Amino acid sequence: MATIAMPGRVEAAAPARPAEPTGVWSWITTVDHKRIGTLYLFTALFFFVVGGTEALVIRLQLMKPNMGIVSADMYNQLFTMHGTTMVFLVIMPLSAAFFNYLIPLQIGARDVAFPRLNAFSYWVYALGGVFITAPIFLSLAPNGGWFGYAPLTTTAYSPTLNIDFWVIGLQILGISSLAAAFNFITTIINMRAPGMHLMRMPIFTWMSFVVQFLVILAFPVITVALVFLLFDRFFGTNFYTIAAGADPLLWQHLFWIFGHPEVYILILPAFGLVSEVLPTYSRKPLFGYPVMVYSGILIGFLGFGVWAHHMFSVGMGPIADSIFSLTTMLIAIPTGVKILNWISTMWGGQIRFTTAMLFGIALVALFTMGGISGIMHSSAAADLQQTDSYFVVAHFHYVLFGGAIFGIFAGVYHYFPKMTGRFLDETLGKWHFWVFFVAMNLTFFPMHFSGLLGMPRRIYTYDAGQGWELFNMMASLGAFLQGAGMLIFFYNMWRSYRQPATAPADPWGAPTLEWTIPSPPPDYNFAKLPQVTSRYPLWDEKGREAMIQHRAGDRIPSAEELHIPMPKSTAKPFVVALFMTCMLASLIFLHVEGMATVGILATIAFALAMVGTLYSWLLSPLE
Amino acid sequence: MNVLSPMRRVPASLLIGALALGLAACGGDQPNITDYPNTTFEHRTEFNAALDFLWDRLLLWGTIVFVLVEALLIYTIVKFRRREGGPEPKQVHGNTALEITWTVIPAIILVFIAIPTVRTVFQTQATVRADALQVEAIGHQWWWEFRYPQYPGLVTANELYLPVGRTVNFALVTKDVLHSFWIPRLGGKRDLISNRTNYLWFTPDSAFGEAALNGMCAEYCGDSHANMKFRVFVVAKGDFDSWAQHQMAVAVPHRPADSTASAAPATVGRAMTPSGAPVVLASQAGAVPPAPGAAPYTGWNKPLPAFVVPQTPVPAGLAWSAPAGDAERGKQLYSMSSCIGCHAVRGNPMSVGNIGPDLTHLASRHTLAAGLYPNDTKHLALWIKNARAMKPGSIMPTLGLGEYDPIMKAKVTTGGLSDQQIADLVAYMQSLK
Repeated sequence: MATIAMPGRVEAAAPARPAEPTGVWSWITTVDHKRIGTLYLFTALFFFVVGGTEALVIRLQLMKPNMGIVSADMYNQLFTMHGTTMVFLVIMPLSAAFFNYLIPLQIGARDVAFPRLNAFSYWVYALGGVFITAPIFLSLAPNGGWFGYAPLTTTAYSPTLNIDFWVIGLQILGISSLAAAFNFITTIINMRAPGMHLMRMPIFTWMSFVVQFLVILAFPVITVALVFLLFDRFFGTNFYTIAAGADPLLWQHLFWIFGHPEVYILILPAFGLVSEVLPTYSRKPLFGYPVMVYSGILIGFLGFGVWAHHMFSVGMGPIADSIFSLTTMLIAIPTGVKILNWISTMWGGQIRFTTAMLFGIALVALFTMGGISGIMHSSAAADLQQTDSYFVVAHFHYVLFGGAIFGIFAGVYHYFPKMTGRFLDETLGKWHFWVFFVAMNLTFFPMHFSGLLGMPRRIYTYDAGQGWELFNMMASLGAFLQGAGMLIFFYNMWRSYRQPATAPADPWGAPTLEWTIPSPPPDYNFAKLPQVTSRYPLWDEKGREAMIQHRAGDRIPSAEELHIPMPKSTAKPFVVALFMTCMLASLIFLHVEGMATVGILATIAFALAMVGTLYSWLLSPLE
Repeated sequence: MNVLSPMRRVPASLLIGALALGLAACGGDQPNITDYPNTTFEHRTEFNAALDFLWDRLLLWGTIVFVLVEALLIYTIVKFRRREGGPEPKQVHGNTALEITWTVIPAIILVFIAIPTVRTVFQTQATVRADALQVEAIGHQWWWEFRYPQYPGLVTANELYLPVGRTVNFALVTKDVLHSFWIPRLGGKRDLISNRTNYLWFTPDSAFGEAALNGMCAEYCGDSHANMKFRVFVVAKGDFDSWAQHQMAVAVPHRPADSTASAAPATVGRAMTPSGAPVVLASQAGAVPPAPGAAPYTGWNKPLPAFVVPQTPVPAGLAWSAPAGDAERGKQLYSMSSCIGCHAVRGNPMSVGNIGPDLTHLASRHTLAAGLYPNDTKHLALWIKNARAMKPGSIMPTLGLGEYDPIMKAKVTTGGLSDQQIADLVAYMQSLK
């Protein structure tokens, strides 16, 4: 058992280390999982600003009745892109930043299984994100809602390019997620350090492992749904064509069979991060580790059996409504177990209220709120008054903002020293936390009321005297306060960048393998592969000394000195991603007057270029 | 290290708790209708009473669980906050008995929610009684068409009349994309799904008497999703029958005494301010309703509650010079123009279009453009002049001469209507009582 003194936060002078490549080209060609993780982090934060700005315009428009800040069509583009951005360009990639950075470190590996595929995933994400975001400046952004219900998205009702950008953009992003998922599954199964059997794996890696399976099972379904829509729009098929007798529920079922597991894809990584943060700052192991693992798996499994709870108002009949009610309620059980196990983790501990810990505790508090309103939705009959109202908007923001985003910020504050060698300022961090916590509740709690008092979601305006003014005003003020919280965070990052690097290997007294190596880790991660004998090696009295790979002040040797073969930097994944994105993007020209031929030729040309560079990539050796 | 007092968390959590209790208070049977005119907590139908009963259960259990979990969380972080020189915590890895306990307890609570849920699901989707009033609610981008198959020929738009105390069964269909039919005070939603028919039934309880309510589209359906509203008038049985008989008949040309059409018949009980915004005048109400038997009941004739009176501002740049119109000229113009391609006026053999709303009794309605504007001279004229500026995405074309059509992105030149022609059309429309 651990008997080491409990540090608040340890600081040390930066050790001498080999020079790292710098410059834009080094980032384009990198195949280092840590650098790719950093790219994911900053790109996703950029899109967080984009999606947040969209939200602020939405909240400005709804601040008072009958406002004219934006047109109806622009409002519809804004809410569609806010949802699409936050789901596909922010929360998933923020999680991916941690998958990339942490999984190899937590399992004692030198990189992911396929480093170049990893770079490819990132570049597809970044380019796809630009592709789907940029059209808003031309008023051509997707405007069908983030779940794009047919037949509104078919050519008959959306003849303009807006939905084309959405269909193609989501296909591009799906490729990124799928490639990454296979990569991480292979990594976790094959590259764990000796002695790290599955039940010794850090809980974040476990939750990530579950998420990758959700991705490879859920994304093919939306890929199929999108291919149908793409073919309807571009090649005249009739999967969703109402005039040809199509049943629009086909889209709804396909979308939500993807869409509900997607919710767990968004939340489980945050659960994983918090399950690392709470034990560290409570100085206690995670309470009921096996149950936490099994409940994560169970949540993922059940997540595929509840999709139609998004469809209680479509008239599926009482039997289907009842069954999906019951399966949805079942999910409350493993989720409730997680909540209580987190509280038990803190029970009896010595809780240090670092910023990371505050965000972690807030996740437990706020996700409980979202979970309870989720149970309210699960009751199919009662949901008829809740679905498509602001009550739902309140619910999923408690889950995804109070849950996923708060969990991710817990991770950011916890792992920032590991990633950069620098600390984020704790005072500013706490300002960030408290502003966020108050603002979050000010924004989203009133939406429960406006929804139950009859305000439908996705309306760009409303009349005075409907009983919604106060709640909308509160929500709008809260949203701007959230913006202020983000400014504090960005200032904190900038400030930290200008501070000296003082983070030692294990500044928080955390227990897992990633804390045995220098901060930031050298490109090869582990000078010698660790031999794992327990779940919390750094809290293990006997194993501790042997585990520590870097002591404060020691010089960090280079990979050459240690004779560690490293994968070569290469721009090929970037080039393939670029050609692939261009190939799919060129389809847009098929719908531009007089450009169809250009579109076909460009698509073919980029396809050939992609295949050519792909072969070049595959034929060049990794190391 | 600098530790922020954990007590600082308490006020925020208390606030949440207080708000949750406030929400519970809203669950009572008598919400304040004036303040919350679209509340979902009203027991005006057996349907909504069943849903609200379920909601009360959900809120009760939800509040209990929420308070217990948050209290436990707060207690834990306060009690076990780090103290200088505190002992190293005992390294507890789990407790099987405890974990089984808190797996079983939620499961038991869920049974208390699941059983009434399933019961209510079947109860609210049971076969409707045979003598129910049948209403076909048809969704269009972005307006509602209501047909009453038991009353041949009765077609109306954006205004739904229901008799108190009689079960009504809605057949919900859409002519285009998905919509969702929602009258928050009468019950939950049901979606309108292309190529399918959905059903929803409930009985406006006779204990509550007459009411004017809001209905809306709750499924995002494109540009003017926010502008796809309708009004619901729950009226006495006798009034409903009288209204239905009147609506089934062709419109009796009704000309205001001075024929200037400056006072629309539909503004009974309301007055217009100079700017055109409606003002509810309760004091006038007593003076206007006809004596029993003196005139047919043609529609809601009591003062309109403020929350069903549209307040949409008129888009900038739209002006109306208000010339006097002639209904006869308007009828001739209407019958020869493109209006008849989309609209029907029963009794006018030229006008049998079925794309836009049936206009047979337009003047008996209270709003225009699906609850977007009050049905008065100015708004009707501006609507004819430039519907696309008045309502984003409207299929109804911009007709006023020199007006900018935001969809075609061009000014209307040849074939455009002058203000005089529009005034004539308005006069005709207002004769369609």
